[in-house]
Amino acid sequence: MGTLFTNMEQVVAVILFGIGLCTLLLQKNLIKKIIGFDIMDTAVYLFLTAQGYIDGRKPPIVVDGVQSVEAYINPIPSGLVLTGIVVSVSVSAVMLALTIRLYRKYHTLDLDEIIELSKKEEN
Amino acid sequence: MEFIKNFPFFSIVLCMISATISSVLSGKNAKRLSMFVVSAVGIMSALVLYYVVQTGESFVYLMGHHAAPWGNELRVGVLEGLMAFFFSIIMMLSLLGGMKQIFKDISEKKLNLYFIMIDLLLASLLALIYTNDLFNAYVFIEINTLAACGLIMSKQNGRTLVGTMKYMVMSLVGSGLILFGLSVLYGVTGHLLMPNIKESVLALTASGQYRVPVLMTIAMVTVGLAIKSALYPFHNWLPDTYSYGTPTSSALLSSLVSKSYIFLLIKIVYRVVGFDVIAGSGILNIFFVFGLAGMIMGSVRALAQNDIRKMIAYSSVAQIGYIYMGIGLGTKVGMYAAVFHIMSHAASKALLFISSNGLSLASGNGKEFADLRGAGYRNKLAGFGFMVGSLSMVGIPLFAGFISKLNFALGAFESPAKLMPTLLCLAISTLLNAGYFIRAVIVLYTPVAKAEQPENLYKRDYSFIVSVVCFVILNFVLGMFSGPIMEAIRSGLNMFA
Amino acid sequence: MNRNLLLLLPMILPILAGLIVFFAKPMKNRKTRNWFVGSFLILNLLVTALLLCGPAVRVELFDLMKGIPVLFKLDGVGRIYTALLAIMWTFSGFFAFEYMKHEGNEHRYFGFFLVALGALNGVAYAGNLVTFYLCYETMTLVSMPMVLHSLNKEAIKAGFKYLFYSFFGASLGLLGIFYMFQYTTTIEFMGGGTLDLAKLAGHESFFLVIVFLSIIGFGAKAGMFPLHGWLPTAHPVAPAPASAVLSGVIVKAGVVGMIRVVFYIVGADFLRGTWVQTAWMSLALLTVFMGSMLAYKEQVFKKRLAYSTVSQVSYVVFGLSLLNADGVLGGMEHIVFHSFIKNGLFLTAGAIIYKTGKTKVSELKGIGKEMPIAMWCYTICSLALIGIPPTCGFISKWYLAVGSLQSGMTFFSWFGPIVLLVSALLTAGYLLPITINGFFPGADYDYSKLEKKEPNKFMTIPLILLATGSVVLGMFPNAFASFIQTIIETIM
Repeated sequence: MGTLFTNMEQVVAVILFGIGLCTLLLQKNLIKKIIGFDIMDTAVYLFLTAQGYIDGRKPPIVVDGVQSVEAYINPIPSGLVLTGIVVSVSVSAVMLALTIRLYRKYHTLDLDEIIELSKKEEN
Repeated sequence: MEFIKNFPFFSIVLCMISATISSVLSGKNAKRLSMFVVSAVGIMSALVLYYVVQTGESFVYLMGHHAAPWGNELRVGVLEGLMAFFFSIIMMLSLLGGMKQIFKDISEKKLNLYFIMIDLLLASLLALIYTNDLFNAYVFIEINTLAACGLIMSKQNGRTLVGTMKYMVMSLVGSGLILFGLSVLYGVTGHLLMPNIKESVLALTASGQYRVPVLMTIAMVTVGLAIKSALYPFHNWLPDTYSYGTPTSSALLSSLVSKSYIFLLIKIVYRVVGFDVIAGSGILNIFFVFGLAGMIMGSVRALAQNDIRKMIAYSSVAQIGYIYMGIGLGTKVGMYAAVFHIMSHAASKALLFISSNGLSLASGNGKEFADLRGAGYRNKLAGFGFMVGSLSMVGIPLFAGFISKLNFALGAFESPAKLMPTLLCLAISTLLNAGYFIRAVIVLYTPVAKAEQPENLYKRDYSFIVSVVCFVILNFVLGMFSGPIMEAIRSGLNMFA
Repeated sequence: MNRNLLLLLPMILPILAGLIVFFAKPMKNRKTRNWFVGSFLILNLLVTALLLCGPAVRVELFDLMKGIPVLFKLDGVGRIYTALLAIMWTFSGFFAFEYMKHEGNEHRYFGFFLVALGALNGVAYAGNLVTFYLCYETMTLVSMPMVLHSLNKEAIKAGFKYLFYSFFGASLGLLGIFYMFQYTTTIEFMGGGTLDLAKLAGHESFFLVIVFLSIIGFGAKAGMFPLHGWLPTAHPVAPAPASAVLSGVIVKAGVVGMIRVVFYIVGADFLRGTWVQTAWMSLALLTVFMGSMLAYKEQVFKKRLAYSTVSQVSYVVFGLSLLNADGVLGGMEHIVFHSFIKNGLFLTAGAIIYKTGKTKVSELKGIGKEMPIAMWCYTICSLALIGIPPTCGFISKWYLAVGSLQSGMTFFSWFGPIVLLVSALLTAGYLLPITINGFFPGADYDYSKLEKKEPNKFMTIPLILLATGSVVLGMFPNAFASFIQTIIETIM
């Protein structure tokens, strides 16, 4: 139990990741799927930032001339998270655009229904 | 000569830049730019390959002169050069073969967008091949996915949109797993560059620390890549996405996109985790089992298809099963065979997609076998191309597919426990492949009365002719002169380790 | 000119000629095409004869993979097979000039006919198993269009059946290739086997399983039980000249495959006395009996002949499975003799179908009065197949019986000859009634309706030659037998 509490962020991240993954896979509604994807990615960012964070230190932005390494947290995870956010934003944007297209065409957001409808049409 | 070392970086950046420029060009000009970029990349990759073979050792290219373990690196060995060269050839030929169809399928205003996607796809493929940095690999996996989605949905009818959605969902699951795996790996090892991670992983396994997290990350990353490359049973998205896109997209997706993930997987196996660690973890056995299942089930599903493109798509499931089986054998020769099959399958499958398009054009755009009867007479070259591709898939000697099978079998011998299942599945899948491909060829050459013939929409198309002829030659070259290629694969994989 | 390259001619020329027949415009004209094909078949005979007169030759083309070259060489078995091919193809080809008139699509038939000849010559010359597999598969693929020539539903189904059985067999063979490759000293075919016994130590039992599987695999083409099912389906729907070469020559490719595996890779000594030999022999004997029995019960003429092929080819297989000099001698002789006989029988069936359209045995009453020459040839061939001296069937069966008695296997040494004898009786039982009813149609036969339906020379001359051949080979067997003896010396 103790280890679970000390690594609380990681535990939460894993749980969130699981929730996101299940939502992405199992929900029929396209919007919910996208939400699931975002939860999943956010969970990973939480995991990364939690790993890079060192208690009592500052973000690695040099403000008042402090140059010592000991003053800052590990900057690489933060960098990764920033990159990751860019990626996930663009993926979400594409997914949303696709959802709009599908909704306009089939007037529903249920993926199963959409698949059924699309099978009826000429390819 | 030293200058050549910059070429991998140049080729990636060139693709990126041309993608940006294409956004303001007209469709025709974007096409010209893309063709230029692909050929330029092909030439540069050839030079890189030549350079690496000459020097006999790999080199690392520092991005922005930050040395390891902080910087971002590209790594180039024989195998990377070979793959980049081969991928650009396949891409060039697929583009040529489907060019007319692209212009037909895509509305004129959006044509340049298609070529942007092509450029981006090439950039991400090259990056996945060359990268030495795992997080970089993740970013390019996403770019690859997005570009591939663009290619699939370019036709913009309902089927392709749905196909894209399915593809997106499965890909996101895959890349989510990869990302999470990478984060954990970073947390455990503290590195992102492949050689550094490998050092830590080896040290960790030696000391027995963090056994579970390391195993878990390996599992997550490999499963993620397996989902993205449509290993059975994660293949559900594949037939829809491959079947309804414009033929160039299908060819590129099946022969390059899924292969780039497999290549990355091989790279991770060798350069991140270490071949021995992964062989000890039992993950390879899972690959082996699912690979075998894919070989059989993919072919069984393909037998039941009535649509020629769906049949080809399901056959891809089977062929990807072959590759995973080769990796799963856990022997060096099996790995050589898997890499060779990446190439031979790419050459044959792209040929099949391109020529099946020619055939359905000659049958009034029909895709069902009932419509395709006699198509081999109406478009002789496409029929011939399809036949060559089929024979290669079936594994008739002189064609690329047979050499792969031979290599797989040789690979199996070094792993006695897996020998019998491998040989049996090879034999059964040869039979199944023969079943559906030969059936298709017979349908193509069944004569039909003049009155029943569908309208022949195929007009003489030189780029199509060039593409099919080159593909056929490529198949024969892989099938008859595989010696030097195998030699290159061997030395390339040895450089990995 | 390099003499070795001469070996490539019988493979390349037919394929080229076949392509010409396919694609060249003038070949659409029947007369030109017949001239072309006819003169080509003669040319092929000459080239083959030239090759056979010369010494052993060997060509290595290129490496398929490192250490696996595409290799062709001419050895004893190859000589016999290629000679057989040249002769049978000529007969069947000339016969087809007339026969194929009523089938249509002649240029496609002749195209594949010639290409198949090239591929089969490849089977004869193949110098290692990979090359053999290459030619074997090619041959299956190009001979299939001959089976499904009429392209109706039944024919296509039969074509598929043929393809699947052959491919399944070949993939078993391929399994064997992959596996045996590991334990041989050289990949090339060498008389007496190339096993590396030191390497094999400890893997023998498994190796035997593989050998057995590949024997079964090649047995698919040879119509050996349990993979014989395609023969009776494929033969009735194929045009008669195609069935003639199919059952006269192409099924023998499977036998050649067995010879290559057993005598040129594994070696007779290794197999002698193992369970593989017993199982192989049992399958062969079972097939001999079963084929005859099924033929006896069959009412469709060509199907009856097909079952007869199933039975007769297994005579050959039985001879090989004895693994001693006399048995192998009998088997190899029977390869050639059966070719002559079965070609003759099938061509007669073709002539009857062509002239009268009758396919059932019961319809053939009085056929001897209508087509005396054809039926005489049929009768002679039948007698040869039963094995009545002085025809050739007697010679081969004699050696088979002798080989069996000398084999030293307690049970099979006497059981084998009995099965052969029973099967010979059955053979008489299913072949001769046609002759009897043909010539002596009985009292209620209406002679007033009788009209001469003798086919023209394209059909009768090959028939006569085949019938004569089957007698002459039986009367002067020594030269041929001593040639086979020289082969046996190299492989035993």
